[in-house]
Amino acid sequence: MSRPPSMLAERSRQRGYSPEQPAKQAEEAELGWLAAWADAWSRFWFTPTDPLPLAIIRIFTGAILTWSCLVWLMDTDAFFGTRGWLPPAEVWRMNDQPWQWSWYFAFGSPTAIRVLAGITLIAALLLTLGLATPLAAWIALLGLVSAANRAPLNTFGLDDMLGMLLVGLAIGPSGSRLSLDRRLLAAEQGRGAVSARATVALRLIQVHLCVVYFFSGCGKLFGVTWWEGVAIWGAAANGQYRTLDLTWLAAHPLTINAITLATLFWEVAYVALVWPRLTRRLFLAMAVAVHLGIGLTMGMMEFGLAMITANLAFVPAATWRRLLPNDRPSPTFLTPRTDLA
Amino acid sequence: MPATNSCLFAGFRMPATSTQTFPSSGRVARAVSSVGILIYLAAVIIAPLSGPPPASGLAQVMLQPFRPLLGALYLGHGYRFFAPDPGPGHSIRWEMSMPDGSTRSGSIPDATSDWPRLLYHRRFMVAEKIASLVPPADAPPEFRALARTDWLPLVKGVAGNLLRSQGGSRVTLAMVEHYLPGPDEVLAGTIEPDMVIPLGTFAPAESLRP
Repeated sequence: MSRPPSMLAERSRQRGYSPEQPAKQAEEAELGWLAAWADAWSRFWFTPTDPLPLAIIRIFTGAILTWSCLVWLMDTDAFFGTRGWLPPAEVWRMNDQPWQWSWYFAFGSPTAIRVLAGITLIAALLLTLGLATPLAAWIALLGLVSAANRAPLNTFGLDDMLGMLLVGLAIGPSGSRLSLDRRLLAAEQGRGAVSARATVALRLIQVHLCVVYFFSGCGKLFGVTWWEGVAIWGAAANGQYRTLDLTWLAAHPLTINAITLATLFWEVAYVALVWPRLTRRLFLAMAVAVHLGIGLTMGMMEFGLAMITANLAFVPAATWRRLLPNDRPSPTFLTPRTDLA
Repeated sequence: MPATNSCLFAGFRMPATSTQTFPSSGRVARAVSSVGILIYLAAVIIAPLSGPPPASGLAQVMLQPFRPLLGALYLGHGYRFFAPDPGPGHSIRWEMSMPDGSTRSGSIPDATSDWPRLLYHRRFMVAEKIASLVPPADAPPEFRALARTDWLPLVKGVAGNLLRSQGGSRVTLAMVEHYLPGPDEVLAGTIEPDMVIPLGTFAPAESLRP
């Protein structure tokens, strides 16, 4: 049964297929192909948006970084000391020197190392709370880079992801919502308002995350075990990673195939299918499932949480506003035009 | 209320025209920001394109101008998580002579003592990254000799850290490649032994020598 015309018109209007569409196409044709691209680029990167999603990412990233800093502090001499796992003179063997700088290269004494690691910890804490957020974000980023560049033998995907997230948080107004900054400076004009900087920061995280999944997925396409559908077994049976015994999967080879192939398809297709509204929820749900699975079964919960945090960049601000009704910005901040989600 | 178009992209509804989009930001600011964004995107795409191997010569050439940015912001990653195939796990087994004549032994990482799990994982990476440089025991001797120049300085660092933290006088290290059984082997209960590759014996002075 066909829908009444009025309902179709309403659905078309909701989806943006308005009577103005032909006029817009004509306008784009007039602008020319290059100008249309430039306009699309500008709209994609600079349309002001609600910084709430960025604030959510800030809280999770800050918390994970705080925990990571505490763990670095548990064995600072081994990680950053002159007689640690990797003496400073040998770091070049694993890094691209001199570009991979670190403040730990300048200070070798045990006390100085602890102070520097402590500074990063404090910055991470402030970032989580949203206090002096812009400064905290930059110091946290510098601290993370310093630690990772000084101790390349001890880094893994968690550090890669934290670096990616911190760049976005340092660039964008991540402390303008859900923060002590906002509580203390509530009277400041425009605080918490929509911002083009928030869009740039979120877009950088979104696009960078797509790059991560794309290359990780393409790398897997080289592997025979991924094509054979048994790669997940290789992770499950690896005793050094394992925190949950999944060797019972040995009796269920088709389940191993299904999990492996679903993971491969999800990772390779993420770059394309996380953007359309139709498939976004499915791909984000799979991201949560995959990363929680890795966290629970392979003991890399921090890495899993960092990846899930990065995926939050794709959750619209409107969703967060529904979940957090008490953190509404001033009505004047969000006009109908700029309430982008 | 101005008309809006549904956006193809996540979570954002774009205003219909650019004149509505940017009420306050200037063209110059947008142009400068755009250049910065393009540089950042180029850097984060070229980094995994240029390594780890296999990688094209073109990607290596394109990487060169981005090395300062990638290094400074810790963005130069290959992103090959569990690729191309998940392999066996590794650990470094150590046995240490103490100044009083006693001996101690252990493993890097050690699931029983390395807590919390993130600390275990950071130590686990030491074994995994050095293992990626150590060829199997049945590799051609000339290949093993060549690879030794890469992994030996790193192993000396590990030895030095162990001697410092434990107060030992001599430590012997071995790389253990833990056998990764197939499903059939697990069901049959026929699991092969781990492969052990000696890495050497080191005294404090040797572990510090470049």
